[in-house]
Amino acid sequence: MYKLNFNFLNKYGGMLLEGMWTTLALVVCCLAIGFVLGTVMALFKQSKVKPLRWFAAVWVDVLRNTPFLVQIFFFYYGLPVLGINTSAPNCEIIRAGLMAVKKDYYECAAALGYTRFQTLWYFVLPISLRVAFKSLVNNFVNLVLTSSVCFSITVVETMGAAKIIVGRVSRPFEVYLLILVCYCIFTYIVSFAAKLIDKKIRIEL
Amino acid sequence: MSFYDYAYLTSNDAMQFVKATGVTLYITLMSLFFGTVLGVLLGLVRCSKNRVVRTLPLLVIEPLRNSPLVTQLFLIYYGLPMVSRIMLDPYPAAILALSLNTAAFMGVLVHNSVSAVPDGQWEAGLALGHSRVSTFCHVIARQALRLLVPQAITLYISQLQCSSLVALISIMDLTKLGQNLALRTLRPFLVYGIVFLIYYVISSPLAALARRLEKKLAFHY
Repeated sequence: MYKLNFNFLNKYGGMLLEGMWTTLALVVCCLAIGFVLGTVMALFKQSKVKPLRWFAAVWVDVLRNTPFLVQIFFFYYGLPVLGINTSAPNCEIIRAGLMAVKKDYYECAAALGYTRFQTLWYFVLPISLRVAFKSLVNNFVNLVLTSSVCFSITVVETMGAAKIIVGRVSRPFEVYLLILVCYCIFTYIVSFAAKLIDKKIRIEL
Repeated sequence: MSFYDYAYLTSNDAMQFVKATGVTLYITLMSLFFGTVLGVLLGLVRCSKNRVVRTLPLLVIEPLRNSPLVTQLFLIYYGLPMVSRIMLDPYPAAILALSLNTAAFMGVLVHNSVSAVPDGQWEAGLALGHSRVSTFCHVIARQALRLLVPQAITLYISQLQCSSLVALISIMDLTKLGQNLALRTLRPFLVYGIVFLIYYVISSPLAALARRLEKKLAFHY
């Protein structure tokens, strides 16, 4: 019978923690990029200008229909590809939120004398983001999981650190099991927090 | 063949692309098949009336859904031989990992679409003297299916893309081939462009199908 042995933690635990820290930094950066890009794309898709609509459609279509691993090799080290990747699903989610805002709201805002931009900023976006919140968090969890692929272009995040440790102590089962559990715990905390927040900010349209 | 010829893509490489596409499709289809079967089972158990039975599949589903596929793949491919006598070749390991992952997501989809069918349908079936199983088969299942199919296709597309991760355990699929050729020809833009295109050509019609089905099968109570 194989005995699980977690002694490697004494020596390499710090490294693993550092990796997790990197994951967190990576994910937060990409969240910001993906959120902004996603919102912009969603607005483009709703826009009245045709080329903008086409651009957003191609953007989302290409990113959603090709594997992330290929994207990351294609764009290579230069671009914040994870953020770009996550902007595609974000766009769809936020667009669904935008669709949930009914025509009456626009008319109401227009009647109150708001400009188009003000309508968007004070009326439409807050409402649609509240509607989209839950799906956005789901997508964030996905982003955390996808970020593990970044080790293949030598980012030493959690998975990268785990791979290095496995190379040194040759205990693949324990190491991978450990980080699997860590990812689970992290995503659980995120989902749980999201549920609490969602209860607070949910609105009925 | 001179040294410089290595920098170009040849007809042999074209064959390699065809082969690699075959590998990608093979792994994806196999894992989708097993994953769907297992996932439907898990989903149906999730729909059980017994509270204990109902929570059991969560033990499988939750860890699989909440951890990266790469980790699962490595755990099975590198980790399993350490703790047991099971030593899987790359192909079975990849198919196993992808199937389990698909099954977890599929289980949730099945459960969601079954519970989205209103209770009134259950009550109507039971009131007409059907048993629970009979109600499920004749009344609930086909309504749930309408919700399930478009979502399942979307899941299939994302699993096709996840199958690119098998390149990391040295299976010669499209992604791995792209990596190799990009290194040989030093033209990553061209090679990955082709790889992009192949993935896109496979998955984009499926995405369009999912969108159409979603519109066609949508219904309101």
